Amino acid sequence: MNPVMIMTMSPAMLLVAILLPILGGIILMALPFRKRRHMEIYLETIVIITSVLVWLILIGRPAEGVPVVKFVNNLSLSLRLDGCGMVFSGLVATLWPLAMLYAFEYMEHERHEKIFYLFYTMTYGVTLGISFAEDMLTMYFFYELLTLTTMPLVLHTLTREAILAARKYLYYSLGGAAFAFIGLVFLMVYGTTVDFTLGGVLTPETTGDKTNVLLLIYVIAFLGFGVKAAICPFNSWLPQAGVAPTPVTALLHAVAVVKAGAFAIIRLTYYAFGTKFLAGTWAQNVVMGIVIFTIVYGCSRAVKETHIKRRLAYSTISNLSYILFGVTIMTPAGLVGALCHLVFHAVIKICAFFCAGAVIHQTKKEYVYELDGMGKKLPCVFGAFTVSSLALMGVPGLCGFVSKWYLADAAVSGGSVMMYVGVGALLVSALLTAIYMLTIVIRVFFVEAHDKKMDTYRDPNWQMLLPLAVFLAAMLVFGLHPAPIVSLFRDIAAGSL
Amino acid sequence: MREAVTILLPVVLPALAGILLLAAKEPERKGVITWYTGAVLVATAVLVAVCVVSVNVPVTFFYLLDQVPVCFAPDHMGKVFALVVTLVWVPAGFFSFSYLKGGKKQKRFYGFYLIVYGILNALNFAGNLVTFYVFYELMTLLSMPLVLHEQTREAVMAGLKYLFYSFCGAYMALFGLYVVWHHSGTFVFTERGTLDPSLVSGNEGILLLAACFLLLGFSVKAGMFPMHGWLPVAHPVAPAPASAVLSGLIVKGGVLGMIRVIFYTFGADFLRGSWVQTLFLTLALITVFMGSMLAYLEKGLKKRLAYSTVSQVSYILFGLFLLAPAGLTGSLLHVIFHACIKSCLFLCAGAVIRQTGKQCVDELTGIGKEMPVTMWCFAICSLALIGIPPASGFISKWYLCVGAFDAGIPVVSWLGPVVLLVSALLTAGYLLPIVIRGFFPGQDYDYAVCKRREGSAFLVVPVVLLAAIALVGGMVTGGLTGYLSDLAGQLL
Amino acid sequence: MSFVQNVPFFSIILSMFSGIVSSMLPAKAARWVNTCLIVAVGLMSGILLVYLTNTGEPFVYWMGHFPAPWGNEIRAGVLEAGMALFFCLIMFLSMIGGRRQLADEVAENRQNLYYILVDLLLSSLLALVYTNDLFTAYVFVEINTIAACGLIMIRQIGRTFEAALRYMIMSLLGSGLFLISLCMLYDLTGHLLMSNIKESVALLVAQQEYTVPLMTTIGLLCAGLAIKSALFPFHSWLPDAYGYSTVSSAAMLSSLVSKGYIFLLIKIFYRVIGFEIIAQSKIINVLFIFGLLGMIFGSMSAIQENDIRRMIAFSSVAQIGYIYMGFGLGTEAGMTASIFHIFSHAATKSLLFVAAVGLTDVSKGRREFIELTGSAYRNKMAGIAFTVGCLSMVGVPMFSGFVSKLLFAEASIGHAHKMLPAVLVLALSTILNAIYFMKTVIRIYVPDYRSDCKTITVKNQKVYALTLLCFMVLNVALGMLSKPIENWIHSGLAMFG
Repeated sequence: MNPVMIMTMSPAMLLVAILLPILGGIILMALPFRKRRHMEIYLETIVIITSVLVWLILIGRPAEGVPVVKFVNNLSLSLRLDGCGMVFSGLVATLWPLAMLYAFEYMEHERHEKIFYLFYTMTYGVTLGISFAEDMLTMYFFYELLTLTTMPLVLHTLTREAILAARKYLYYSLGGAAFAFIGLVFLMVYGTTVDFTLGGVLTPETTGDKTNVLLLIYVIAFLGFGVKAAICPFNSWLPQAGVAPTPVTALLHAVAVVKAGAFAIIRLTYYAFGTKFLAGTWAQNVVMGIVIFTIVYGCSRAVKETHIKRRLAYSTISNLSYILFGVTIMTPAGLVGALCHLVFHAVIKICAFFCAGAVIHQTKKEYVYELDGMGKKLPCVFGAFTVSSLALMGVPGLCGFVSKWYLADAAVSGGSVMMYVGVGALLVSALLTAIYMLTIVIRVFFVEAHDKKMDTYRDPNWQMLLPLAVFLAAMLVFGLHPAPIVSLFRDIAAGSL
Repeated sequence: MREAVTILLPVVLPALAGILLLAAKEPERKGVITWYTGAVLVATAVLVAVCVVSVNVPVTFFYLLDQVPVCFAPDHMGKVFALVVTLVWVPAGFFSFSYLKGGKKQKRFYGFYLIVYGILNALNFAGNLVTFYVFYELMTLLSMPLVLHEQTREAVMAGLKYLFYSFCGAYMALFGLYVVWHHSGTFVFTERGTLDPSLVSGNEGILLLAACFLLLGFSVKAGMFPMHGWLPVAHPVAPAPASAVLSGLIVKGGVLGMIRVIFYTFGADFLRGSWVQTLFLTLALITVFMGSMLAYLEKGLKKRLAYSTVSQVSYILFGLFLLAPAGLTGSLLHVIFHACIKSCLFLCAGAVIRQTGKQCVDELTGIGKEMPVTMWCFAICSLALIGIPPASGFISKWYLCVGAFDAGIPVVSWLGPVVLLVSALLTAGYLLPIVIRGFFPGQDYDYAVCKRREGSAFLVVPVVLLAAIALVGGMVTGGLTGYLSDLAGQLL
Repeated sequence: MSFVQNVPFFSIILSMFSGIVSSMLPAKAARWVNTCLIVAVGLMSGILLVYLTNTGEPFVYWMGHFPAPWGNEIRAGVLEAGMALFFCLIMFLSMIGGRRQLADEVAENRQNLYYILVDLLLSSLLALVYTNDLFTAYVFVEINTIAACGLIMIRQIGRTFEAALRYMIMSLLGSGLFLISLCMLYDLTGHLLMSNIKESVALLVAQQEYTVPLMTTIGLLCAGLAIKSALFPFHSWLPDAYGYSTVSSAAMLSSLVSKGYIFLLIKIFYRVIGFEIIAQSKIINVLFIFGLLGMIFGSMSAIQENDIRRMIAFSSVAQIGYIYMGFGLGTEAGMTASIFHIFSHAATKSLLFVAAVGLTDVSKGRREFIELTGSAYRNKMAGIAFTVGCLSMVGVPMFSGFVSKLLFAEASIGHAHKMLPAVLVLALSTILNAIYFMKTVIRIYVPDYRSDCKTITVKNQKVYALTLLCFMVLNVALGMLSKPIENWIHSGLAMFG
């Protein structure tokens, strides 16, 4: 036995972790920084302290929750950390400091930097709030807040394009939340409890003869949260939101925001309605059908798109639906697959986006066809991009393969025709992924350059490269030795964590 | 531990050497690269031989997934393929020293050439389906730079086509893999299959579908109709040594995959008489005929050889799907012979193109006078490919036909040999005219302009070596045939 | 009889009296009288509320010691007192918030007229709230109409004349219907006092006599008050009346006048006809449908609007639709939600009107969206307040709008058949709300560095800023501390019965 005492954190720390970046962001506005460097140090400190705190909380996980505010009808905003929340908060806490580092370099020449960092830091707290939420209402609260704190980031450049994108983002997100809200109210009325419970809060006694209505409501709420997870036909905000600066697109539109949507759907499916209630019903087939369609649709659009960031955004759409496909399998194995892809895709996509951002930052090129022969001038960036492409395609040895494996394994175990179709969709999408990612790789490495300014381009500095290195290492480690993390996910799916 | 090292060395050495070469700075003297590559090639060949001789037990390295390790288990089948690879890869490598001399980006070519060699060794030694799949994908990815080496627009497009067809196949195979995993619980290659009967019963339909997808997936690499489209595009645009190994060896990766699926995963008994067998026999025969026909109609020399590959590899597949010992023996023989013959033909074509710049069949009048040694080798290999005794192709085709009769499948047992014969005639039709006009240019030929254009030793010796194997393989085959028959017997 | 019980009577008389006094005073003095009046009435209502909460019993106040059916009665319960308090609060804030505007837009010599009208408006509102006699109600409805008309017309531009005329015609139509139904009720029951009518109606229903005339009467009554409170499709008078009158008028008209009528309708439901009878009749289905239509079409018109004030006005149509939808559910929960929404909407809408004025002020008085670009930077407080109002309207948690949405959704889930249409329209309307409100928020936060517009800081307009702050606090308080208010609505409704 290991005699080392692990300090159990007080549940109040959950609140501290959420408030720290939010307040830190607000205080930033009040502080007059004479040098940009000082502001960077201040922000990075805030973010790192928060991340360390989150990790400490994860290690010494407090068993009970903490109510924050009493709300309507005996509902309260309350926080508690369970297994599923651990995954999401751990992911976010790991990625945020790196993304911050990257942002310092990227945003150097942008205007309104302070406002950007204000919301960028606040979003961290809000995202943590989503993962720490103990019940549906709390999650809904932070979910709405997430929309509002990220909107200014989309708006940041204040071009006409950005305004339209921000508007669309808002309409879609708030609209989706409105439908998710219906699900929330139904759960309050028909559930045995409002807290998240693995296995669901609905029992035959509470549902009565309302099964079909509740299934309909599930579908509606799924679509509602699905807006953030960019399921078809509610995906068009995501590529458009790519006008935001790359640190935003990378961290928020590949990880925090969209994964919050997927995370909410996991909560909705496994922790609120419950797989027992949903599995095998028409509702499952409907949502799975939508998700499968999105998987293929996203990829196909990505193949057609020539703007790098938008291409990656479409790829995100497709990959988010991988996660949701795992969710809609509605077995513990499906949840394992979904969580795997939740984490792995985050690492892969943020890496790919950072590469794209580095290219845009260094060369001002935004379109795929402008990249010919750049591999020689930016070897580190494009090397990382290549590896993340391969990981995204699911080449064995990198993490994308692992998550695809568990997703497909869960689907085949499920055994319905729809699930086999889903596996087929995963593979078709993998092929399309190969097409849209490797065409870039081949362009940059194997096509002759014809840009006269080519000689002036070079790799960015360490602030941009360090995150890439970390992500590459993560992809390899998860790809070659996924056992520990997968067994963690298994425990979560089985409810023993 | 000793086994682990022995088995890893032929994989890791060329791979690392290749990576090192890619990462290194362009050296001042190009000769350094060729010497380095040559040394690594020879050393690896020796290591492969050592491994083939000394390792017989499976070696597990680490667990890629829960119960799925990356493991190497050199069995007889793997060893045969490994030797074939070495037999062709090294000469073709030496050929390229001269062929690429003065060309651009040699460092990159040799780098990838070495890495793929290592990957192929790993592929052949793979001990379970997932390991196989891992290296199969890597093979696709890393051989792609060989295809688009020239970096012309055409080459890049061909490279993309190669990549996407291959990935399409790989993902089809992956689908099958998922299903198989669920019904067998292990991927370890076992003679006569690994399916768990208790899991199989009631799920035959989906398993046959899985088998179909797996085989279809691997058949992409083997260039079988309807997924052959990439092959005639990708093989000719590559530099000749690359075309040689692509056509001679990489396609065999697909064949090995199919062998592993049929005989080591599902077991011949499971597939015998099923719709999958019928489907693939039909597709193989269609491809045999179609490939020959297209080759016959094609004017570009390398492209004609590529179509010929389409046809010839489907001979092998036909033999596999007969699920009869003689058929399998014929297939394995043809794997060996076709590897030598086709790479020799491509090297000859490469030598001709390098020395004369003539790419079209019609331009080759009198080439036999200019490059007699090369064209003699070409002639020998042509005869071998057609299947004229005593050259090697005859033996394999003989076994294939015997297998077709033995298998006793209605229609196929007589249609198969007929198609093979028709295709042999077409093979004669598309190869012999080159030889005939090369040596007998006719009266219009102006002997005055004729001059000896035979290349350096690097261009000649590998060609001669391979041609010799193609010729001698048909004459001294007793031991080899016996060995392969035994192997086939164990699997059926 | 406790002295406190005189409060209802006092406040009505006091406001009428101060109206009369103001007519002889100069504008400035009239303003002081008005302010003091509102504060005094508010304080008195507060005391009354405390008193009633302590006794827990409603009381009837005979005017002149004659018992019914001869005397005129005033009745006060918790709900009435609270409503009076709330009306005073909103009126106070609206008056202060629009004071500067008033000075600009209304001629100096007419300003005391304005305060007279406001005094009269308050008295008529209080009378509507407190009276127990239908005829008295009718009289004060008319006074209310005249006062409101004057409030619209006091800013003398062409559009307001037209608006006032329209308002007059529609209102008179409504009053006419109200009067006719009053007569019919008198015919059917022989009473004008609410309590007496209720007994007779209960008897009639029990004996199943005069069913058709009774239902027609109720229908006419509802129609009359629906026209007056601008239920879709009778809202044509509203956008101009709210859009062009001076801001205090607009805020009061939307938050108080229409709410006065709605409160009267609630009172009639409970005190005149009996809630069970209403709940069983088909009339509420009609109200339900018109409520839903109003929610959709009101918002659609608002989306098309290009004038910020008119947009807010159209939004009122949608919000009134919510309230009628709650009536239409015919359940106690629905009624509670509607009453809560009366508060929430009153608090939010007047906030929006007052904040909008701050924004138009710094845009050269122009009200088109394009002119408002960047106005939130020129008037920071108004920008923030407007955003808060919008978020509340869209139903973001923590603000009052969220709670009413939650209550509406919960109430509709309790209803077997109206559940799905209600929740779906609720979600849809949230999206529509998001579209036009968020569009505006983004617009005002898009910077436009115009030099020709003045900038207003908090220091320039302390009172105005303070008003906005109060409104925001009120909004958040309603959002966060909804539980006591809900309890209080429950007990108020119980006292009605």
